[in-house]
Amino acid sequence: MSNEENVKYVEITYRGIFQKRLAKYIAEGLVYMARGTNRSAVSFGRYGDSPERNGVPAKYYVAIGEINEEELIGYSTRVEPETVDVVVVLDDTLLKGVESWAWQGVQPINLKMKPGGAMIVTSKRSMEELVKMTPSKPFKWTLAKIDWEKSFSGLWAFKDDTTMERVWGAIARIRPDIVDLEHVTSYIREHKKDRLNERLKAVEEAYEGLVSKTMNPGEGIEFEYVPPRLLTWQEMLEGTVIHAVPRGGRNEQFKRGTTKFERPTVDFDTCIKCKLCWVYCPDECFEETQDGYYDIAYDYCVGCGICAEVCPVKNCIVMVDEKQFNNYERPYKMWRTDKAQYKEWLRTVRSNGERERVMVPGLGR
Amino acid sequence: MTEENVLEQEKLLNGTQAVAYAAMYADVDVTAAYPIRPYTEVMDTISKLIADGQLDAEFIVAEGEHGQFEIVKHASLTGARTLVGTSGVGWLYAMEAIVVTATDRAPVVAVIGNRALDDPGAYGVEHNDALMVRDVGWLLVWVDTAQEAFDTALLAYRIGEDQRVLMPVGVSMDGGFLTHSEQIVRLPPKELVKKFLPVYNRGKYLVHPDNPITVAPQVNEDWVTEIRRQHDEGMERARTVISEAYESFKKVFGRYPGTTRDITMFENPFVEPYMVDDAEVVVVGMGTVSKPVKVAIKKLREQGIKAGMLRIRWFRPFPTQEVVKYLSGARVVCVIDRDYSLGSPYRGGVVYHEVRSSLYDLDARPKVLSFIGGLGGREITIQDVEKVIKIGLEQRDTPLTRHTHWINVRGDPW
Repeated sequence: MSNEENVKYVEITYRGIFQKRLAKYIAEGLVYMARGTNRSAVSFGRYGDSPERNGVPAKYYVAIGEINEEELIGYSTRVEPETVDVVVVLDDTLLKGVESWAWQGVQPINLKMKPGGAMIVTSKRSMEELVKMTPSKPFKWTLAKIDWEKSFSGLWAFKDDTTMERVWGAIARIRPDIVDLEHVTSYIREHKKDRLNERLKAVEEAYEGLVSKTMNPGEGIEFEYVPPRLLTWQEMLEGTVIHAVPRGGRNEQFKRGTTKFERPTVDFDTCIKCKLCWVYCPDECFEETQDGYYDIAYDYCVGCGICAEVCPVKNCIVMVDEKQFNNYERPYKMWRTDKAQYKEWLRTVRSNGERERVMVPGLGR
Repeated sequence: MTEENVLEQEKLLNGTQAVAYAAMYADVDVTAAYPIRPYTEVMDTISKLIADGQLDAEFIVAEGEHGQFEIVKHASLTGARTLVGTSGVGWLYAMEAIVVTATDRAPVVAVIGNRALDDPGAYGVEHNDALMVRDVGWLLVWVDTAQEAFDTALLAYRIGEDQRVLMPVGVSMDGGFLTHSEQIVRLPPKELVKKFLPVYNRGKYLVHPDNPITVAPQVNEDWVTEIRRQHDEGMERARTVISEAYESFKKVFGRYPGTTRDITMFENPFVEPYMVDDAEVVVVGMGTVSKPVKVAIKKLREQGIKAGMLRIRWFRPFPTQEVVKYLSGARVVCVIDRDYSLGSPYRGGVVYHEVRSSLYDLDARPKVLSFIGGLGGREITIQDVEKVIKIGLEQRDTPLTRHTHWINVRGDPW
């Protein structure tokens, strides 16, 4: 249907709870701006797996079209759109993949992007580093970077730190067909009257200073994603029963590792093999090695930090900001291969990735 | 005098926020809260409105849904205007309190962010939660936009609190597809809301030291039948009160409930007919399924297929007359249920059976088919609806061989 082709979608991928307000306000602004240009616009939170739990990758969408609003709602009454024009990524560690819906597996961050689409990432990494983490597409598209640290806050505590203004400015620069600079600034003038100059300056900085790059077909990393084949009603066990994962095995369809925003690092040289990490890990991420150490399956680790808390050896297990890592490679092999190099690497990631504990009301910390 | 008192405002709100705003405009006195998705943003928004000084109300955090519904029931009997809400199994956990809220004739307004019942765990929409109370004296209404959520919540106070009714109203909205979807909502001037919504007055049924009454004594076989019969009469009177309230809404606010800048709502409180006049196949449903249905119908009309839709808005009292009026001319009626009634006649959905029963006395009845779909939050797409209509058309001229079809279920052809 031709009308549906005219609908443009913005997908905002964020970390649940810490960025829920941020994502919602970015979407809200886009809706008002689009409506300011006589288009219809609505937004919807992807009602997926736990946007209100710490770190879970979650999504917000904006649908914009030069059609009647009711028809736009008709197209966008979906779990998620088939394709999107712009992907906004509010934490660059999400480039490692997102598992925002149980049973669908870990999906590449730009899975839904249309040919010629754009992805805007808030990141302090260099463009070269980002490209090395970004899944390739079979077509040309644009990767852009807002030089800005990720913004985390609580469920209600919105950190009004100009991240949203920067995202709007970046979209205006790269896709003025979604919103243009004039409507971004007029929206801010009308709706965000406090700290007006600071907000307008942030828009301008993002607009003028946006680093972008054309990604050619195949450029970036390979990220294989095969949608799972789910069972038919005849094949399923009755009574809402599923087979247990065999002892020592893991559930390939539900990993949850993309939830973490920090991860435990291990200094194997000081490990006393007490096994407490193995005992206490709620997600059974620790795997005993032949010589009695405990390797970590990072693709299953949600970064809860319990292992670091129960480990009796000072600085043996230390939580480090996820941004220090580009993949989920396990640490034990690296240590065995070259212990001196591992120690140096450990020192580097720990000194750079000082753990950032987010205050969440109600958790007592 | 502030702007919102005299001017209409426009605000981007999702379904749950829209109801919370309606509660603020209705100046509720007491709200009781307990979190469960997808309803939660109702209580989040109410608490923020109170914190921001926009609403002066008691915000009581309950220890669970049973206590939550007990609190508002008691508050309502003492003359307080109340808002409450929940989803899925939370609604069921409160069931004892929910049933007595109706029998004690407390006009509580409850938001139900429709959610699949456990097990298995799912956050998505299914209508079986709210439908659990279809037989016990709650007025039940389904909305399909944020605007309709706001307007209907205001109407719910007006209707439920009317002394001819005095019954709780459950405002249902699809989890995810409306609870978490933002649309621009027209908020009427507060001065007009005061005009539309009279002060809640229980009259002789007010629990107050100056009006000594006892609510809900033990009566056994001596009184129960008469109490049920009274309740039945109140439910019947609600039809008139609902019609009056919608007319009054239009008169006071200058637009029919559910009407936005872009959506002109058909003027019938109970149902929303769409292209039914010459339709051979009419799709019936409740909630947000109406939106893809309308797109599909428009598309099929371009191909010369005479399809239409009837959205059921008020499920209790059930719009029997309207269903007869708008469906009697059709050849085939396809009822899409976002629920199921296991072991029911013809293995169909709840709404299907109500529609089928409503049409029974007609001499020339359309064929009625049941479609079960969109369970546990699964989407019903425009393509799914086209298939529904196609299956309906195939059944037009042949004897009915199968009453119920499951939409897009893995393991059955679709």
